[in-house]
Formats: sequence, structure tokens, C-alpha cells
Amino acid sequence: MAAKVKAKQQNAVAQGTTQNRIDAGLFPFLLILPAIIVIVLVIAFPLLYSLYVSFTPYELLRPNSLNFTLGKALRNYQKLLNDDVFWRSLWNTVIFLAITVNLSYLLSLALSQLLARVTVGQSILRTLLMVPMMFAPILVGMQFRWFFNANVGLVNNFLISVGLIQEQGQIAWLVDVPLGMISIIIASIWMNIPVLTIILLAGTLSLPAETFEAAEVDGASGWQKFRFITFPLLAPFSYIALTIMSLDIARAFDIVRIMTDGGPARRTEMLWTYITRLAIEDTKFGLGSAMAWITVSLSVLFTLYFFRQLVKARIVR
Amino acid sequence: MLICRLIFLVLAFSLLIPAAAQDEPQYAGLDMDLSGTTIKMAAIGGGQYEVMYDSIAVFEEATGATVEIIALLDGFAIDQKLKVDFATGAADYDVAWDHTSFVAQYTPFLHPLQDFFSEEELAAFSPAILDAATIDGNLYLVPRHADISPIHYRADLYSDEAIAAAYMEDTGEELTVPTNLDQIDRQARFFVENGHSAFGYTLAGKEEALTGRFYEMLFASGGALFDENYHPTFNDEIGVAVAELIAGWYQDGIIPADTTSLLWDGVAQNFCNNDVAVKLEWYGWYAYFQDADSCAVAGNFGLARGFTGLSIGGDHVRPSGWAGAHAFSIPATAPNPQGGAQLIKFLTSHQVAYEEATLGFLPVRDDVWERVIADAADAENPLDRERLELARIQVSEDFKTPPLIAEWIPFSNLFYPQLQAIILGDIDAQSGLDAAAEETRELMESAGYY
Amino acid sequence: MITRSVGPNRRRNDRIWNAVAWVVLLALALPAFWIIMTAFRPNSEINTFPPVWIPQRLTLEAYANMFGLNPEVQQRVAVEAYLRNSLLASGISTVVAVSLGTLAGYAFARFRFRFHTGLFLGIMLSRAVPGVALSLPLFLLFNRVGLTNNVLGLAFVYVAVNIPFTAWLMDGFFRQIPQELTESAYIDGCGHWSAFWRIELPLSLPGLSTAAIFAFLAAWNEFQIVSVLARNNAAKTFPPGLFAFTEQFTVDWRGMAAMSVIMMVPAVIFVILVQRNLVSGLTFGAVKG
Repeated sequence: MAAKVKAKQQNAVAQGTTQNRIDAGLFPFLLILPAIIVIVLVIAFPLLYSLYVSFTPYELLRPNSLNFTLGKALRNYQKLLNDDVFWRSLWNTVIFLAITVNLSYLLSLALSQLLARVTVGQSILRTLLMVPMMFAPILVGMQFRWFFNANVGLVNNFLISVGLIQEQGQIAWLVDVPLGMISIIIASIWMNIPVLTIILLAGTLSLPAETFEAAEVDGASGWQKFRFITFPLLAPFSYIALTIMSLDIARAFDIVRIMTDGGPARRTEMLWTYITRLAIEDTKFGLGSAMAWITVSLSVLFTLYFFRQLVKARIVR
Repeated sequence: MLICRLIFLVLAFSLLIPAAAQDEPQYAGLDMDLSGTTIKMAAIGGGQYEVMYDSIAVFEEATGATVEIIALLDGFAIDQKLKVDFATGAADYDVAWDHTSFVAQYTPFLHPLQDFFSEEELAAFSPAILDAATIDGNLYLVPRHADISPIHYRADLYSDEAIAAAYMEDTGEELTVPTNLDQIDRQARFFVENGHSAFGYTLAGKEEALTGRFYEMLFASGGALFDENYHPTFNDEIGVAVAELIAGWYQDGIIPADTTSLLWDGVAQNFCNNDVAVKLEWYGWYAYFQDADSCAVAGNFGLARGFTGLSIGGDHVRPSGWAGAHAFSIPATAPNPQGGAQLIKFLTSHQVAYEEATLGFLPVRDDVWERVIADAADAENPLDRERLELARIQVSEDFKTPPLIAEWIPFSNLFYPQLQAIILGDIDAQSGLDAAAEETRELMESAGYY
Repeated sequence: MITRSVGPNRRRNDRIWNAVAWVVLLALALPAFWIIMTAFRPNSEINTFPPVWIPQRLTLEAYANMFGLNPEVQQRVAVEAYLRNSLLASGISTVVAVSLGTLAGYAFARFRFRFHTGLFLGIMLSRAVPGVALSLPLFLLFNRVGLTNNVLGLAFVYVAVNIPFTAWLMDGFFRQIPQELTESAYIDGCGHWSAFWRIELPLSLPGLSTAAIFAFLAAWNEFQIVSVLARNNAAKTFPPGLFAFTEQFTVDWRGMAAMSVIMMVPAVIFVILVQRNLVSGLTFGAVKG
């Protein structure tokens, strides 16, 4: 049964794979050129500039400090490696990303399976699903900051109304460990869910019906069907979803910045908030650029990893 | 919500002003024809702060200039904007908001103001503030208004005989409005433990606001942030005692659980709700607290001079009085500095400063002080007058700015997270302050102080 | 489609699944309901204790204040400017990004050439650069050429930000168009260009609309870059505009909610219009990516 499915799919995929591509000399380069020019001007050029700056001790309000000396080129990077706050913010970022990405994925997977079974009000439900997409990240941050506010926030008000906490025992959501991190994670997951769920739902709906029929004849339970058919067949969709999320993960910065700005006591300090603090508030732009470069490298590696997985998952199918 | 009320208050005050000012209003800066020129300004925003900008219409009318406010941001956002703009040469405005705590960072990028202001014109302003803004003989700002914090206390708690008796029994001392930090500690704990007040004290718990409040408790107790060579000294026993005091308050619920995310508005809101027994608070909030529509504490609070510190550092060394002044500066890259100077003259003139003082801000001009105190003489509420008299004493005797160095904000940015960690119990006071001192030394060293 | 055998058990199960789905999705959409409600409530019902859960009175006050229709309140929020700038920057950048991204995606899908994978990855990874690393160097650069505080400059940046995703999506879409169709077009004497215009582009319309939504929303919601590049209301879009409601001391939550509702309207229209295409578009794009 599984072999039949696989063969069928390989057949389908083969139509669109590389072997049909045409050799056409310079023409494809001409098609790509405008895109490349824009990206070089807007992204590569500024990035190279900041790479240069990251090798200098540049401080915003000391114009003379923008000078490159070979002996001191790696100073900023050395400083960062010895900076506890940098490691702490890196660690926080990793924890935040690991939890957010995994939980967003798991919840979206569950939600997509739920939605695939719905028989009443499909299109209304899908529209409801897209509601978080309509929120700008910055708006998500502001609204959730408000919801989690200790004094006037919805969450505490609700808990008081249903009698779970006392009026004087309001929970300091954005302060306590690990509630601060949890609050930010909740907001980020909420923002991530629609796109992930849509992709996974679309994937689920595209799976061949015969496979499931055969499994049912064999007496497979619902969980078995999910575990041994749906989930493996969804792999390419899962990696698409994860790749999209890793490309857009920096959007979470808006949320963190608005909700806690890395505080209190650096409990939610992440690479992004620390860069802003160093580069602009403390005017140490060279140091901030070095950190930005470390961040860029990390997020590129992260994306590259998912991309590889995506390519692999396609070949396996 | 607050904004609406503030605006209402402003309207109410603006009705009073014409009645009070029977003579010709004493404006300045209107004596130059600026027809056809544009003056751009990056200004501080927020309900009370923006009232002043309504008067700009008078300036435009008289001089023919067009004034364009290109940014209305809160103080910290303007600070960031100015840094970026100065660094990139993009400061294409003629007037910029400034502050005594911030000005030292900007000096290479500002126009010296003595070129535009005569000594006579400057004589009207408080010399202490002008001195604070004069660096290497150049004046870089003209002050707009000042602020400093008196003790605010809930009157009902201090006039109740039963409470006073219980306090006497508890501590063996009389319940009076506190004059030192040890008393504040005892009273705040007493009020909370006996259920008289939700919180005994509050303070802003992040950013420069927290650094400043600590600084104030520290110098009031005889400590100092730095020695004369800018080596950090805040990790001595006095600094540790102050940090432990705040951390103890937090752990025992004397201050709110979300203290570390509160800024000025949050702590003011707590006092406004009648939830705080006693605290330091800026004079600028007075009109808000006295508005019975928005504040439960209206009519139920009193003011007193800032407290002296903990006894540990000697005998309650000096009163608190962390202070600063909002001000205006002219960027060196301003396209129309002369126009900017005229606008600053206008905005800091007797009349505009007086109008702003009626909103509750503290004047920086002697002639405005005289006038608002004279006004308050026949005010309905005796506290209006007491407040001004107290404020004048504090401004002239207790006014203490933070160290006027460019590193003040970077220092604060490394210091306040450590203090937060101490408050929240992530680290003990001595280790936290030692770590902050270490970082401070690195900061000052790389800035070339030693 | 997952098939369902019909039986009493199945039907009961279906009912449970339906109920669960409705509860979960209503909960997911709750913050939006709350914000819309906040926008239309009197201030006295917001941030009060005990909380007022069910609105007692609805009012347009927040909008009257925002648009300067309330003579007692000084208008301080330039909604019209934000709307204009947001529409211009997002609209222009969407058109250009989708055009350039489609060309690039077509090239990747149809042609063999040197550095194929390298270029593709390079374009994709440029999207992974966080705005915070980009905004200030970009500002320094744009300031030299006079593109700061300029809606077109902003649109230019958003084009670059949106090209990678568009190219990726369109690459997937072009690949799932049966090759025989294009080949028959070549045989009929069409060049690459006319085969592209007449056959492949129309067939990839669902992909185009998906790409357009993502590009539009990304530009519409972007904050990091615009907050550095835009100096004043001449170029400020909605996201930095939201900060007009946070002041030195207070946050006007209702005003912010009211503007959020306006800000969400175009997104809502967009999403509803192309919802069906969005699902099918992502499916095709994903499978054959």
C-alpha cells in the first residue's frame, strides 16, 4: 500500500523536477538580474557596511572613532565573547526560538488535523483562523502587553473575576520567571499559528484518499493513521512551514521589544533587544554591528538547515 | 483616559490665564522678522508637555515664521533619535528637546547658545541649571522647566489616631510624616502588614528612572555613584544597604509585584488609586493627583521635603533631590539657527513659562516663581501654596543632577538591569553591585576616564 | 480528502470535532474581538476595576477624536497620512516585488544555468537578515542619496524584503505547470517570452495572488525599518503611527485599538478576497516547491 502511494507521488513530483529545465544562455540571468540588483542595494550593501563597522570601535557620537586598525579589528568580537550579557541573550534567544518554533508547529499540526475533519462552517472557521495574520507584530506586542498588564490587564482581571486569584495577589506576568518568557512565547505562537496551520491543512487535504481507505480496511486506529500515514506524508509541508517561520522569526523582535524590552533584569534579553541597546542607546555602533553579524550568521544557518531538510524531504517522497 | 482629563484641566487653566494676566503678556523672541522662514523642532510629546506648543501660533503670527514640529516623542525616544541624527548629520531641525541629564552626550553636535542669547536674557534663569549645562565655557541649553520630588503621603493614614496608637505600640515611636529613609522603611512595612494600604511605597523600576531613584537614596544616605576620578563607589556598604532595602521591600510585598516594569505613569497611577502610603513623586503630577475625577487620592495627600537617607552612612546625610530640567537646544547642523534661537526665546519667555507653570511644572525663571506664588496666595486649597513654597526650597537647596557626563545613559543601561536582578532576588546585593561596578569600570576606561 | 464512512458513531464523533474546532478557533480570534470592542467603548469601561466584560454602551468617540471631529480634543494623530503612506509603500512595493520575484522565480523554475542553487539560496537567505541589523546601515546609506523620509525609498526597501519569498513561491508554481503545455507553445512558434505571457503566467494566477498577499501584509506590518527611515508624517506608516498613542506617561489604549481596527481593514479585505486562493496557492507552492 505504502509503496503504491510512493510510486504515484514520485511520478507526480518528477514532472516538475530539474531534468526538464532548459538551457538558455544568458536569458535566465536577465530575468534574475533586477531582483539581484535590488537585493544587493538594499540588503547586501548595508550589510557589508555594517561588517566593516563591526571591525572598528565606532561610537555614534564620536565620528573619529570610525577608523579601521588591523590589530584591533577583532576587538568587538572578543568583547562579545567575554560578555556575560551577550551569552545570556544568546541563550534566551535560543530557548525562545526552540520553544516557539516547536510549540507553534505542534499546535498548528493539531489544529490542521482538527480543521481537516470539520464538516460545519469550514469557510468561517478558516477566516477565523486567519485573524492573527491581520495583526502587525508590533500590534500583537502592544495588545499582549496590555492583556498581561498586572493591574489593568485582561488576564489578571479574568483570573480575579473567576476567583482564581485575589485582587491583591495580581500576577506580574511580564516580570516573574518564567512567566515573562512564557507571555512573550504565547504572543509569538499566536502570531505564527495561521500561516503554519494553513500550510499543514492544505497539505493534509491534498493527501490521497485511497491510502486512508486502505488503512481503514486494515483496521487502523485514528492515531495510527496519523502517525504512520499523515505525519510522514506531511514532511515536505512541515519543512516548508518551518522554513517560512525561520525566515520570519525576526518579526518576533517587535513583540519582545514592546512587551518587555528584554527586562526585567535581562530575564528576557534577546540578541535583538541587546543589539538595539548597545548600538543606539549606548551609541556603541561598532559593537552592535558585530553582534548583528553574529545574529545574521545564526539565522542564516538556521534557515539553511531547514532548507536542506526541505530538499531532502522532497527527494524521499 | 488620562489625556482627556489633562486636556480638560488645560482648558480650565487656560480660562484662568487671561484673568490673571492683565498687563501685556511678556513674550520674548518676537522682535525679529522671520517672514518666509521655516523653523523645525523635534519636541517632547505627551499630554501636559504639548500644551506649550499651542502658544507657537502667537510666535508665528508675530514673526511671520512657520514652525514645524517634526517629531513628538517621549524623552527616551527623542534621545535615541538625536543620537542617530547627530551621528548621520541628519539633524535638520533648528530646535531640539534636551534635558540636563542628557546634554553632556550631545555637546559636540550642538550650537553654543551664548552666540544667540545676551547675558541679560540669560540672567532670568536659575544660575544652577545654566551652570549645569555650561561645558568648557559654552552654554548648550536653555531650560524650560525643572522637576524634583517631594515626599507624597496619604493624609488619612497620618491623621488617624487609631493607626497612630497602633504604630506607637508596634515601634515605640510616634507616627509622623517621615523625614528619613529608616522611618519610611518602618512605616511602609507597618502600613502594609496591618492592611492600611495595599503598598507601603512605590518607585519606578526600570531604565534611568530606577537608576535615578537609587542614586537619590544613595546620596541621601551619604554614598556616591563615583569618586572624583569616576571610579564606581556604589558597591560600598551604603550602596549595598540601599539595594537591600529596595529588594527587601519587593520580597515582602511593600512595593508592587510588577515594580520592575513600572515607569512614572505606573507608579503615579498607584498613588492616584490611594494604594500607596508614602513615596517620592515629581511635582509635575500635582494637577493630576488633585483631579477628583481621575484620582481617589485627590484631597487626601500631603507633601513634605525629600527624606534623608539611611543612618548607616552617617547621620542621615542630606535630603533626597534628584533633579533635572527639560530644555531646548540648537543642533550644530540646524539650517536656521537664528530662527531656532528666536523660537527658544519665545518658548522660555516669561509669559509662556508662566502658562506652563500653571499646569504644575516648576519654573526655572525667578520672575515666574514670584508670579505663581503670588497667584497661589489666594488659592482655595492651602496645599497649592505650601507646594510652591516647598518646591522653591527644594529647587534652591536640594537640587542635584546626575553626574553630567556623556556616559550617564550608558551607565544607567548597564546599572539598572543589575539593580533589577537584585530587587527580584536573582542575585544578592553585594555581588550584583560588584558586577555592575566592574562593568562600569570597563565603560569608563574605554571612554578614556582612566 | 479524508473520507468518512457514515455511521452513528462517526456522526457523533463529527459533532464533537466540530464543537472542539469552533471553540478553539473562537478562542484564537478572541484578541481581535476584544480590540474591536475596545475601539467602540466609552473610556469609562476600559481599564477599570472590576472589569466591564460586556459593553454597556457603544460609541464612536475614539474615531471622532482621531479624525478631529471632536472640538474638545486636539487632534494629534495623523491617520490620513499613515493611511496614505501605508497604502503607497505597501501597494507600490507589492507590485514591483511580485513582478521582479515572478521573473526570478520563472528563471529558477524553467532554466538550467550556472550558479542556479547558489543564486537561489542567496536570494532566499537575504530574507533571513533581521531588520534590526539592516535599519541603521540602510539609514546611513539612504541618507546620502536622499531616500530617507521618503515613501518611495521605503517601497524600494520593501521590494527587496519581499522578493525572496515571492521568487520561492512562484518557482514552485511555475514548476507545477505541466511542461507539455509550454513545449507545445514553443512548437507553435512562441518564444520564451510569449509562452510565459500567454500560458504560464495566467496559469500561475493563484500563486501570484498568494505572493501578493504575503508581500502586501509584510510591508503593511513592517516596523523596524520604517521607524528608522521615516522621519515624520511624510513617510510614517501605521506601525510607527501606533506609537502616537503611547505618550511620555500614558498609553491611550482605546485610541490605539481604534486605529488598529482601521489598520486591519485592508488586511481583512485582502485575506477574505483571496482566502480560497491562499489555501490552494500554498498547497501547490509547497508540494512542488
